[in-house]
Amino acid sequence: MAEPISAPILRRADYRLSEEEQALAEAFSAFFERSCPSERVRAAEPWGFDAALWAELAPMRPVAMGLPESLGGDGAGLVELVLVTEPFGRSVAPVPLVEAAVAARLLAAVATAAPGGPADAWVNQVIDEHKVVTLALQPGGGPQLVPAGAVADAVVGLLGDELVLGVCPAERAARRPRNHGFAPIAWCDLSDPECSFRPLWSGPSARAAFERAVREWKLLMASALIGMAQATLDIGVEHARSRVAFGAPIGSFQAVSHALADVAMAVETGRRLVRKGAWYAAHEPDEDVHRVLMAYRYATQTAMTAATVGVHVLGGVGFTVESDPQLYFRRVKGWTLVAGDPKAALSDIADALFGPVAIAK
Amino acid sequence: MDFGVIDLDEETVAFWAEVRAFCQTHVTKEVLDEEFETGSGFNEGLHKALGARGWILPTWPRQEGGAGATPLQAAILDAELRAAHAPLITLGTTRNVLPAVLRWGTDELKKAVVPGVASGDVRFCLGYTEPDSGSDIAAAKTRAVRDGDEWVIDGQKMFTTGAQNCQYSFLLTRTNPEAPKHKGLTMFLCPLEQAEIRPIRTLGGERTNMVFYDAIRVPDRYRLGPVDQGWMVLLGPLNAEHAMPEDTDSAPPIDQPGGMYGYSAVEGLEVALAWARSADPDGRRPIDDPLVRERLAQAALDIEVATVSTGPAGRVISSEMAIRVAEDLMDLVGPRALLPRGEDAAIGEGWLEYLHRFAQGTATYGGTTDIFRNIIAERFLGLPRQAPRAG
Repeated sequence: MAEPISAPILRRADYRLSEEEQALAEAFSAFFERSCPSERVRAAEPWGFDAALWAELAPMRPVAMGLPESLGGDGAGLVELVLVTEPFGRSVAPVPLVEAAVAARLLAAVATAAPGGPADAWVNQVIDEHKVVTLALQPGGGPQLVPAGAVADAVVGLLGDELVLGVCPAERAARRPRNHGFAPIAWCDLSDPECSFRPLWSGPSARAAFERAVREWKLLMASALIGMAQATLDIGVEHARSRVAFGAPIGSFQAVSHALADVAMAVETGRRLVRKGAWYAAHEPDEDVHRVLMAYRYATQTAMTAATVGVHVLGGVGFTVESDPQLYFRRVKGWTLVAGDPKAALSDIADALFGPVAIAK
Repeated sequence: MDFGVIDLDEETVAFWAEVRAFCQTHVTKEVLDEEFETGSGFNEGLHKALGARGWILPTWPRQEGGAGATPLQAAILDAELRAAHAPLITLGTTRNVLPAVLRWGTDELKKAVVPGVASGDVRFCLGYTEPDSGSDIAAAKTRAVRDGDEWVIDGQKMFTTGAQNCQYSFLLTRTNPEAPKHKGLTMFLCPLEQAEIRPIRTLGGERTNMVFYDAIRVPDRYRLGPVDQGWMVLLGPLNAEHAMPEDTDSAPPIDQPGGMYGYSAVEGLEVALAWARSADPDGRRPIDDPLVRERLAQAALDIEVATVSTGPAGRVISSEMAIRVAEDLMDLVGPRALLPRGEDAAIGEGWLEYLHRFAQGTATYGGTTDIFRNIIAERFLGLPRQAPRAG
């Protein structure tokens, strides 16, 4: 008989959605498909915010759903939220969904761990009044471009070891810059005295909560990016089926079909990477760091490639402002670069997997 | 969605221990040395030992030659054998062909070969490719002509990997040259005694074969399925080889690092990591260099992408990942990565040197990555079938 051994670790690899998850994904897909055709995306340019659309979306509680039931939320987690942000990305809807969902969860974490501060009231306003709180993704003072900064009611960020929340005077919103992605980004400085930043929470736990919130932003954005890649793929495939050149549909030429097949493979695989990352972030948060960063890195690459292929497959028309692929081309970079160089994720992945760099003596 | 740790019952833990002990006993250094020498993809002693335990067809009932194992146990068995680098190419082709024999073979044929498959005495190889047709499988020219109760088979096959280890080839022949390409084909489980087998060596160190069928006579009982409908017979094993969805749905529900072809890359990263963590005489370690860290992180990311990939996409992604990772990790490690297994100063027993050569083949055998892109474009994206331009 064999010697008994300690049981090795074996993990499931089950990517299937439950019926509830499937229904959730379908409900949001249906909403964005119905309510946000590309005309509506264009109509919100160049500032990238459609307040009416945000109001139409509110009854579906995309932000409140991710908050704990004890605070009035629906108790959903990251697995559910990535299912919401994928169809959101597919329609590149001009609403600050990712930032709002993530900042609200950060406020909820503060309100749970350190109740009695301003976070409590803000959580209520987010749920009841659909107020938008956003997240300054770079820690520390000094001017930075904050996603949804031009339309947010408040900004949360990390200054030193302190989580702070600020409300900037209205004229600050007017200092939004024109930008590549037609996104409602705005300059914000966490040390700006005019913005009345107030402390929410401080210490290592506050810092850890901030870092987690940034990772959650990357995870939800990764899913949105997969949606964006899927959308450009669909447009490219549709065109390649119908456009005839040299006497045949161009999709019958491998130079075209293989480029689209490469995107299709990356979209499907990226979607699985995002879902796996979300599952780990929700269920085994100590194991999730590199998985979320991997999903984000792969999704940024996939969405950019998909947008490039989408623009290219449509030929000259793809390069015009009337084409839809260019909407995605702008937003893939425009929505993500506020978090910094996506390739820098590799350095963080290395830290998570290989341990810290030894300090030279 | 569930990626949680699987609770293993006592029986499965015991099974796992038995598999590990088996590997220690049967996948010895001698077996591995022989495999690196011959590239045969097979070791008779190992194969028969698997058969003796019912592990060639582990999920089959014991009375039919299996081990009555659960799908999870079968997945554990495969993962452990793979991790031990057991030479299993011929086991793979045998398992791949068996469903077609069960589906299309006569009772007489099944009675003659199936027990031997389970015991390890009977092995199958794939006789599709010819000198003039590889990816274009259905262009096969090997002729089969009926002569009473027998067929006369004439032609040549290429890259019949494992033919030297097998008793039968799952042979694609043309029985009606007048019919359209896919309509004049017939499949045989062709005995190999009369065929002439000549070895071919690959860049990856594998041995494969040319097989010559020079007017060999095969009784009709070795035919699989109806005459001229061989394409239908071939599709089952072919779809399984192509990891089409109906097959992957039943795949073991466990996380397999590296995906279809990526296990060897997982090991390549381990070798590179061990190198990167060792200090030079001044105490400096490559892994403390930010550039080295990023390269290793990129390899880890590539491997994870291959791990989650599935189906035809998984075949392309895992193959191309292994090619890219092997090439880059060799560069990273530097000149010593050039030293093969058996050289004193070889890094990780020359694994990267081997992997860099081996990985290249994965993009070709079992249908090239280009064919898989066609499959994805046509069957999954609904793009028009690629056609040669006329004129």
